[in-house]
Amino acid sequence: MGDVDVEPSLNQVEEHQQSPSGSSTSSLSSPSSPSVSLQQVQQQQSLSPGSSDSARGVSPPLDIISEGVGELSIVIDPEMAKKACQEVLQKVKLLKGEKSAESGMTNGTVHVEPVGGGEGKPPKIREEEEEDPLPGTVKSARRRQKYNSSKQSWLLRLFESKLFDVSMAISYLYNSKEPGVQAYIGNRLFSFRHEEVDFYLPQLLNMYIHMDEDVGDAIKPYVVHRCRQSINFSLQCAWLLGAYSSDMHISTQRHSRGTKLRKLILSDELKPASQRVRRELAPPLCMPPVLPEHGLSPSKRTHQRSKSDATVSISLSSNLKRTASNPKVESSQDEPARLTPQREFIKSLMGIGKRLATLPTKEQKTQRLISELSLLNHKLPARVWLPTAAFDHHVVRVPHTQAVVLNSKDKAPYLIYVEVLECDNFETSNVPVRIPETRIRSTRSVENLPDCGITADQRASSFSTVPNYDNDDEAWSVDDIVELQVELPEVHTNSCDNISQFSVDSITSQESKEPVFIAAGDIRRRLSEQLAHTPTTFRRDPEDPSAVALKEPWQEKVRRIREASPYGHLHNWRLLSVIVKCGDDLRQELLAYQVLCQLQFIWEQERVPLWIKPYKILVISSDSGMIEPVVNAVSIHQVKKQSQLSLLDYFLQEHGSYTTEAFLSAQRNFVRSCAGYSLICYLLQVKDRHNGNILLDSEGHIIHIDFGFILSSSPRNLGFETSAFKLTSEFVDVMGGQDGDMFNYYKMLMLQGLIAARKHMEKVIQIVEIMQQGSQLPCFHGSSTIRNLKERFHMNLTEEQLQMLVEQMVEGSMRSLTTKLYDGFQYLTNGIM
Amino acid sequence: MAQVEKKAGLLRRSSSSKKPLTEKVVLMYDEIFGVEDPAKNKPRFWEELFLMKVNLEYLEGKLESLDGDEVTKIRDNINRLFQHCVQTLSEEHQIKVVNALQTLCALFRGVHQKNKSTSGFDIINVLMGFDKAEQRMKELMESLDALLCGDGSESLKSLCLKLLLCLVTVTDNISQNTLLEYIMINSIFEAVLQVLSVAPCRTQHGYDAVVLLALLVNYRKYESVNPYIAKLSIVDDENTLNGLGMVISQALSEYNRQYKDKEEENQGGFFSAFTSMVGSMFIADAEEKLSVQTNEAILLALYEAVHLNRNFIAVLVQSHPEVDIASTPTTPVPATPTTPLGTTPPSLDLMNSAELPLDPNLQTSNLLITFLKYSSIVMQDTKDEHRLNSARLCLIILTCIAEDQYANAFLHDDNMNFRVNLHRMVRMEQVLSAGTSLHVQWSEPYSHALFFLTDLMVEFIVSHMMKDFPMDLYMRCVHVIHKLICYQKKCRVRLHYTWQDLWSALINLLKFLLSNETTLLSKHNIFPLMLLVVNLFNMFITYGDTFLPTPSSYDALYYEIVRMHQVFDNLYCMVLRVSTNAGQWKESASKVTQALVNVRAIINHFNPKIESYAAVNHISQLSEDQVLEVVRSNYDTLTLKLQDGLDQYERYSEQPKEVTFFKDLARSISLNVRRNVSLNALSQDVLLKEFSTIS
Repeated sequence: MGDVDVEPSLNQVEEHQQSPSGSSTSSLSSPSSPSVSLQQVQQQQSLSPGSSDSARGVSPPLDIISEGVGELSIVIDPEMAKKACQEVLQKVKLLKGEKSAESGMTNGTVHVEPVGGGEGKPPKIREEEEEDPLPGTVKSARRRQKYNSSKQSWLLRLFESKLFDVSMAISYLYNSKEPGVQAYIGNRLFSFRHEEVDFYLPQLLNMYIHMDEDVGDAIKPYVVHRCRQSINFSLQCAWLLGAYSSDMHISTQRHSRGTKLRKLILSDELKPASQRVRRELAPPLCMPPVLPEHGLSPSKRTHQRSKSDATVSISLSSNLKRTASNPKVESSQDEPARLTPQREFIKSLMGIGKRLATLPTKEQKTQRLISELSLLNHKLPARVWLPTAAFDHHVVRVPHTQAVVLNSKDKAPYLIYVEVLECDNFETSNVPVRIPETRIRSTRSVENLPDCGITADQRASSFSTVPNYDNDDEAWSVDDIVELQVELPEVHTNSCDNISQFSVDSITSQESKEPVFIAAGDIRRRLSEQLAHTPTTFRRDPEDPSAVALKEPWQEKVRRIREASPYGHLHNWRLLSVIVKCGDDLRQELLAYQVLCQLQFIWEQERVPLWIKPYKILVISSDSGMIEPVVNAVSIHQVKKQSQLSLLDYFLQEHGSYTTEAFLSAQRNFVRSCAGYSLICYLLQVKDRHNGNILLDSEGHIIHIDFGFILSSSPRNLGFETSAFKLTSEFVDVMGGQDGDMFNYYKMLMLQGLIAARKHMEKVIQIVEIMQQGSQLPCFHGSSTIRNLKERFHMNLTEEQLQMLVEQMVEGSMRSLTTKLYDGFQYLTNGIM
Repeated sequence: MAQVEKKAGLLRRSSSSKKPLTEKVVLMYDEIFGVEDPAKNKPRFWEELFLMKVNLEYLEGKLESLDGDEVTKIRDNINRLFQHCVQTLSEEHQIKVVNALQTLCALFRGVHQKNKSTSGFDIINVLMGFDKAEQRMKELMESLDALLCGDGSESLKSLCLKLLLCLVTVTDNISQNTLLEYIMINSIFEAVLQVLSVAPCRTQHGYDAVVLLALLVNYRKYESVNPYIAKLSIVDDENTLNGLGMVISQALSEYNRQYKDKEEENQGGFFSAFTSMVGSMFIADAEEKLSVQTNEAILLALYEAVHLNRNFIAVLVQSHPEVDIASTPTTPVPATPTTPLGTTPPSLDLMNSAELPLDPNLQTSNLLITFLKYSSIVMQDTKDEHRLNSARLCLIILTCIAEDQYANAFLHDDNMNFRVNLHRMVRMEQVLSAGTSLHVQWSEPYSHALFFLTDLMVEFIVSHMMKDFPMDLYMRCVHVIHKLICYQKKCRVRLHYTWQDLWSALINLLKFLLSNETTLLSKHNIFPLMLLVVNLFNMFITYGDTFLPTPSSYDALYYEIVRMHQVFDNLYCMVLRVSTNAGQWKESASKVTQALVNVRAIINHFNPKIESYAAVNHISQLSEDQVLEVVRSNYDTLTLKLQDGLDQYERYSEQPKEVTFFKDLARSISLNVRRNVSLNALSQDVLLKEFSTIS
């Protein structure tokens, strides 16, 4: 490793060199021992206090993050950062071969280390390093602070202050031209919470792909580190890297950093380091690579189960590939392919979308979809998950009959519901055991999933115990009736007078000889009342199959599917849904999602009660992806087509008359969401706002979807969509007309929202600006995208002027077809400027 | 001894001179039918015998021709033959196994045909000897089990199944087949299931396996413990049940396809016959051409599966095309020697494909939908006994389905839409009114699964009101509707079905019953059917709030009743008359009288109102809207009586009502299967060819 002389006083690299067996191991492998729980670290420490103390005493080696692959090590010091970096890089380049040998050797030292032979415990030194990045950073930085009063200390102070968040980090990473600063921030990323960084993952990766070497080098260690930790992160990265590299010229793309990193990730070499070590130590298959909860968790999972678990995942992958069982299964069992099941799962979903697109009619598409999914079901459960979900889970079943094809001209996006079982960690928790469809009845009554082995025994033994089925009553036990009654939910909580009770429950009270009389009018009234109380349903239309499916209240759907599912009885059963898009570029959608999230956060922070609903986007490639559907919402187009009512009348039908609480709250929701989306539409210049792209949820909120035309792009044929946002007279009617209080409230909310957004403009701009790098997306067309976006925040207007602006925009939007008012607004802005 | 041999030698010589082509095997058979042990002087006799091609005809004929005394004389030799057959089954040499299997077939058949009158015990004695019977049969079943489950040749498996089918169907009445007692003890159930659960095996032998299963389940069903019933009822292996479902589904859809083809064939003639048809008012001729032999065995298998196995319902509603998980690429079998039983076995190409064919015309379906289509064809025409039985069985299966909670959940699932062409008879009024589009195929193109079922029932009701009234089928049909409505009421499912169709069908049925009262009453008790129909109306009247789709559909119900009040009035008069006269129908008629109370209340309440409305507004004929208006504004003054147990029904039970039906059905299937099990020479050649290459 030679003589990397970075900082004489407190240099870790020095020590690192002096005691290569100790800290070099740790620094080299520190990023690769990911999810070791704190307890375990402590456990380790208590086991070998001496070594841990010494390790700590040496000094926190936060500054050196170097990968096992051995491409880079960085030393952060504000003063010497640049120099150090260069030197280190040089060294690294020189010693690349040697170092990789050394890393092998360090691994060797690790497994020589007597760690008590415990399989689940990665070698200890690595553990101690784990806690370092965060406290270490601060500590050492503080120390450095004392000694150095550098000219950049103000920047350093900022970096170390509590205010320094991911957003700022990204911003400095993007704007700073100093490799040292970039490298520091690259390191600093380790100290942020994963979720916080994840939000900016598109930005990080786009910078990695399209910006210069230094930024890339600063980002890479973090990305590689996280990839080792998480399959999900790996796949997300691979997908995003692929998608954002696609705009490069084909010749450069092949050799670009992004493509290389993507290949590295997909090659599945970025495994948790512990696994690599154990491959030599322990016989394969004994334990999934990382089992932090092993021994700690109360689960009664046995060795046996984990084995079957592994085979399940393998059988899935081989099944998905549709290969016959190959003789190499044995060898592949060594390491169950980490990424394969999920990749194959996604591939299958995309394949379905491609095949659907070839079919001419909606009906054929729907039928095809259903049968394709029923095939997919045979391969589930597996170690696969929906990346759009907020919790860890395994997909166990796709209720194929519930899937619908969405409305689209030439492509075939479709919506599927997915039954999942929540789990602690989808990478390590065991994949649920398959319950056959036909087992529905038996499992429904049994609370717990019957263990497979036991069932087989039961079956064998029950042969002898089964009584004679001569008697039909026995063969058809009355369970069905009981089940029926048990499962019947109390739908009719309202209007439960005596008689309606009677009519609900069958009359078995034979003893009451008194004849019971009922009024025909009551029956008729109950019928209309119940229809009024139950949410209205849409009529089925083969040309618009999604309308009915989306109209059904989510809770109702969950209940229905749960009842019909063989897994429904499990306590951790959940229902998710996802829209699979094939042939569509979702990168703009992702950008819009990020901006929406940011604005939502800003408004929350500033306590402006604007309502928007960002929906999650998963970009899989530049022409495919998945969308998290908005539940309990149908498009305004569908509402109007199905109900044949005006929007206001529909509100009255759904929520009750003007004065009812339900209507008022729905109206309030409507106004808040309208204000939120009006601002979004204005700021992002969202175009193509027809009623099919605006949803209405069951609480009265509107939700804009389809951000295909934002910022600099607009549909060619609708060039005259010049208004700031869409505000039809129908919308105004729901708000109670132009003179109503709610309408004023709407305008006031918009003003407040705009003021709040203006305050945090940088956070919004930053998201968009970074994504513009190297992008060919239509939304970045032209050179003035960012400048125009900034202008729409009107930093230079007073609040009074802003208020006028809002008034003007509202006016203009209401009369959008007569564009003269839009001109007036232009005049206003230009005049002031 | 020498003399005998000499004599035999002489005979042989003489016979060979006369018929120089007498096979050696025949000569060997002759030796067996002698008194001596043929192996006495030829230690390798049996070995040689099984190396030779079996002459089934000769062997069977010989056995048949023996009379009682002769049989007892040669009993020992027959026992030996049987024993050696069984022993040979476990040999390596495949040709020997094949020959042994065929010889066994011939033995079973020959002995039974001869001894039609004699008791089963004699047969056992002749074949195996009482003392050895248990042991022999155990060995036989074990060998068959091993052959069926093993990796051996498919043709061999096929022969095993044929042998079993032979054995099961040797008697007309399956329950009198004493040999089956041994199959009950030595179960081959698992082997049959194994055949069904493995894809390539199923495609070839699935049909035979299913028929065999259906027959075995019907052995002494009502008299003793039949382990096959118990075992079938608890099968829960997904693959096996799917396999069973697929075989049935394939057979049914093959029937549907055949019917469709025939129909299309006849299309031209049908149109040309149009004029004469209208003239003669006779459609039956055209219809008869279309009749394709129904497949009772498969239908029985479906019934047993639905009735006995609770898990099977899930298979019933699973979407096709389904693919086996462990499907290895199946190569087309070279010239399957198996000749079909009954109808040709279904074309199984669909089952083999691992990938879904990308055919836009390919319809997604499932067994239930296929079955509904099948039922609609079968129920069109119930004139001959055979089809009547099939229709009855269809309705019984539908009854079971309508009672099942899971199947109901599926049927009422809003998302389950299919394209089904239900077939219906061309009715006179349609012929006259429809003009050009004569061939009425009733295609509500893309619609709800339950609608098909209800439509099917409605269609049945309106199309079978004939002189030879199928009372029993009508009862079942209305029961099915009742059960579906009970489910809807219980679970509060509101479907946008046009209930008017059902109401008018039911009212027409009442009308028919009334106008044919005398003829019908001479054959049936029509009052339970009347009661059922009236109670269906009562369900709508009193519980309409729980399952009708809209308030206006409730109004429409009243409109329909008021509009057709004449029918109800007549019905009331009739049942009142019968119940006041002392007679055998007194009691059942009076039940109908009581059930009519609400319908009468409605008529008596609204009719005066409508009349006065007409009088006030000076309208002679009120429009529908006007009547509905009157109905709507006068609900509140109408009081109804809540009747007991409207939503209760008696659950379907095979015993004791259906026992005779199923016994007869089993007998008819047995006969049919026996007639069609073929082990002919052609198959032998193929087998030999196959095995010569193997060994």
